[in-house]
Amino acid sequence: MKRTTLILSFIFILTISLSMGVLAQTDTVKIGLSAPLTGDYAEYGENFQYSVQIAADEINAEGGIRGKEVEIVVRDSQGNPAQAAAIAQEFVNNQDIVAEIGDFTSTACLAAAPIYESAGMVQLSPTSSHPDFAPSGEYMFGIVGTQAVEGPFNVKELALNYLGLDSSAVIYINNDWGVATMENFVASAERNGLEITGTESFMEGETDYSAILTNLERDNPDGIYIAAMYQEASQIVREIDRMDWDVELFGPSSVFSMEFLKLAGEAGEGFVTNTIFYWEEDRAAVQNYVEEFEKRAGRRPNLHAAVAYDSMNILADAIERGGFDRSDIRDALAETGEYMGVTGKIKFTDAGDVVRDYLILKVVDNDWKVIE
Amino acid sequence: MFWIRQIINGITQGSIYALMAIGYSLIFGKLLLVTFAFGEMVVFGVFVSYYLYAIVGLNLFLAIIIALPISWGLGMLVDKICYEKFRDEPRFLMLITTIGFGIFLKSFTQLIFGTGYRSYPNFIEGKIIVGGVRITYIQIFIILTTLLLLYGLNLFFKKTKLGVGIIALSNDLDAAKLVGINVNKSIKFGHSLGVVLGVFGGMMMVSYYNAIGASMGPILGLKAFTVVVFGGITSLPGAIIGGFTLGILENLSVATFGSGYKDIVAFVILILILVLRPSGLLGKKIDLF
Amino acid sequence: MFSNSKISNIIGNLKGIILENKLKIYLIILILALIFPFITNNQYYIYIGVLTLMYMILASSLNIIVGYTYQYLIGFAGFFAIGAYTTAIITTSFEVNFIFVFLISGIIASIFALLIGIPTSRLGGIFFAFATLGFGEIIRLIIINWDTLTRGTFGIPGIPRPKLFNFIINTNTNFYFFALLILLVQLFISYRVINSRVGRAWLSLKENSEAAKAMGIKIAKYRVLNLMYGTFWAGIGGAFYAYFTQYVSPDTFVLDEGFRIFAMVLVGGMGTLIGPIAGSGLLTILPELVREFARYQLIIYGVAILLIIHYRPQGLFGAKELAQAKVKDEK
Repeated sequence: MKRTTLILSFIFILTISLSMGVLAQTDTVKIGLSAPLTGDYAEYGENFQYSVQIAADEINAEGGIRGKEVEIVVRDSQGNPAQAAAIAQEFVNNQDIVAEIGDFTSTACLAAAPIYESAGMVQLSPTSSHPDFAPSGEYMFGIVGTQAVEGPFNVKELALNYLGLDSSAVIYINNDWGVATMENFVASAERNGLEITGTESFMEGETDYSAILTNLERDNPDGIYIAAMYQEASQIVREIDRMDWDVELFGPSSVFSMEFLKLAGEAGEGFVTNTIFYWEEDRAAVQNYVEEFEKRAGRRPNLHAAVAYDSMNILADAIERGGFDRSDIRDALAETGEYMGVTGKIKFTDAGDVVRDYLILKVVDNDWKVIE
Repeated sequence: MFWIRQIINGITQGSIYALMAIGYSLIFGKLLLVTFAFGEMVVFGVFVSYYLYAIVGLNLFLAIIIALPISWGLGMLVDKICYEKFRDEPRFLMLITTIGFGIFLKSFTQLIFGTGYRSYPNFIEGKIIVGGVRITYIQIFIILTTLLLLYGLNLFFKKTKLGVGIIALSNDLDAAKLVGINVNKSIKFGHSLGVVLGVFGGMMMVSYYNAIGASMGPILGLKAFTVVVFGGITSLPGAIIGGFTLGILENLSVATFGSGYKDIVAFVILILILVLRPSGLLGKKIDLF
Repeated sequence: MFSNSKISNIIGNLKGIILENKLKIYLIILILALIFPFITNNQYYIYIGVLTLMYMILASSLNIIVGYTYQYLIGFAGFFAIGAYTTAIITTSFEVNFIFVFLISGIIASIFALLIGIPTSRLGGIFFAFATLGFGEIIRLIIINWDTLTRGTFGIPGIPRPKLFNFIINTNTNFYFFALLILLVQLFISYRVINSRVGRAWLSLKENSEAAKAMGIKIAKYRVLNLMYGTFWAGIGGAFYAYFTQYVSPDTFVLDEGFRIFAMVLVGGMGTLIGPIAGSGLLTILPELVREFARYQLIIYGVAILLIIHYRPQGLFGAKELAQAKVKDEK
């Protein structure tokens, strides 16, 4: 008896969910979102999901795109390239999905790229900053700005101009992003006369940085460039503090977040970074977004969240101009003039990257302040 | 000076490895329960204490004291799900049940406690400087706790009925049954104790590093496992010595070869130990399926 | 709710029916597999079909090792990685016929198996498992650190499509039949090997090492041989993965990937040719079915593994195998 009930209810639920899928197909335009919702990058995937949904809700509140309501189809890539590729195949095959936003890591984007490319669907990655990604295909777009641009900025503006360093050590996370960040920084440092005293890497999930920092301290650099996500960067500055090592701290924009301040505490004081997004910027668009994000997620958005919001909006703008055809969207996206998002001006290069204007931020009294 | 400091770094890291390894060694070495969910269980338990402290707003020590019985309960649950039904089945099933449970628990922890890293408070602030070398109080506290736990466990295994029972069944299961030891109860108790010790060690660890995140679990488990194999699976003091040795060796390898090879060194040591001396530094030879 | 024995009975009965009509059922499954790409136009389904077949190749390869000699190889992802990277490195630098690339990938995986197999050939169950876990991680770390050869963490993109004369294996349907062909060849060869003198030696190791020793079978030799044979197919599976996705990166070959393939073997029932096929089918298709639940997907996955092992510790298609393992276990 019980078993029959169970089976019946299972069939019932299945039917309902299937029929809901059918019903939902009326007059909507679907955008695929591939993001790591579980696994080690889950937090960033969650940021994507909140931000893209906020943008979609705002678009729908104003009547949708060309009169159609935007619907986000969310899939979890677990940060695994093979999963991202499977998701890509699902998306390109679903004729209702016109374009895709994602993924978070460059490796996941690159694994999915051939599938999107051959099907002719836009893959717009909010965060892939790898210099190889956007040039890898006609339909590949990245909006965060590549390390080939951010690296030289960090050398010239942060290290040389603002901090006035003669030498710097580099500590970086050993993944595709960390290596690209380190390589671009080091290459630019050599061109601009900033001495690199040493580079050390660590694996994702590392908790103890004492050994590599002791290695770097031996060469007594003026500053240390910390190419890591906020959680590792906060651990690193705490260890530097514990060592009583007096050194200038600076790093790429990934460190800029509310959580860094909480995790690093006093040890993070004086940390210098750049950003293209700043939550206290008094443009209405920025303030609305920050407020809405805080309401939904219970924390302030960081850069990785903000670029996802811009991705959705810039895509909506392209669809508005180009229509619902996948390859028309690609062309409209490439022709995007200067789009003003919450992360500033966005204009694609011929390869599909964007060139960014950066702000300099510094931790003063446990808060991020803009340096003019 | 550079080398002395690297060795001190190694000792600090080793003391944390050793602390983590005590619980693991109890579960794996004494009860012969294979686990791939240890790190996930530890992170879950630590997160409970974080939640009680930061969200509910309890005093930190109260939060820790409440989190430990909850971890005990988690230990009972895991034994129920992953081990109890399979006591008379081949042991390799534990590999798969704990792998399955680990996958579940990691995602579950992210789901209820969030995906990001959280700031965990420091138990004890302050440091002393001895001969130009800085030693923080929490480092001393961790080492003392480790030794104290080792001593306490030794007493437990020698003086209490339950402890003696666990040792007996780890030596000879059938003989233990014959002399009337309640195998099921002993294993349940030992497993939960191991989880609680692991969680307690985890609290010390995150308090030292000041951060806790759901994705820390698997690496934690892997390290604890390496340390236990290294020191000798059946030996508690071995696990502690293994922890310190591994910590120092890892740091010296970073000092000599740079950082890229640190984890490779750890795994090469693991394989060498398994091949050359499967009983580890101090353990005795056992035959696990 | 369900009682264990009832569920076991149902599955047991089902299995009985399947075993009685073994040939017929295999034939029906084969025909279904052959016509599957023609009854659906949905490229996503066919893509999942390809992935499923690929995991069937991998799980069948691990099954030879785990199921026939009880060598618990949990660092399996390492051999998968070796195959995939061999193919990626060769095809992006030279123009070599893909059949050779497949063979080379398999052979290189086998050579690594020889290297790790000899020193570990005396290690019993769990110690062997842990040694191979370390080995799998070492392979991944070497891939990450040896960036002049492997491009490190960036991975290797742009792997060309396999080409036979003028025909390029390109579409999902092409790859589907290609994978099916590999799987059938693999199963056929494995069947022959298992029923050969070598295979009987493996089985005698599995049933009782002491007896095998008494009969003069060189245990270490046959264990290493078994490991090499199994990992050869892991290398083939890796080569297929590289050709199919056209991109390899160390993120794919994490420990979890090895655990999943291990789960497929155990869930399906080790030591039978059909078990791993069923297990990999189930554990590849199930996550796709629940993909809509995004964040809950892995939770469902973990629970599914636990439920199956609870109701059927020997796996869906395993039977008396476990009893034998138990006998050995108590030795």
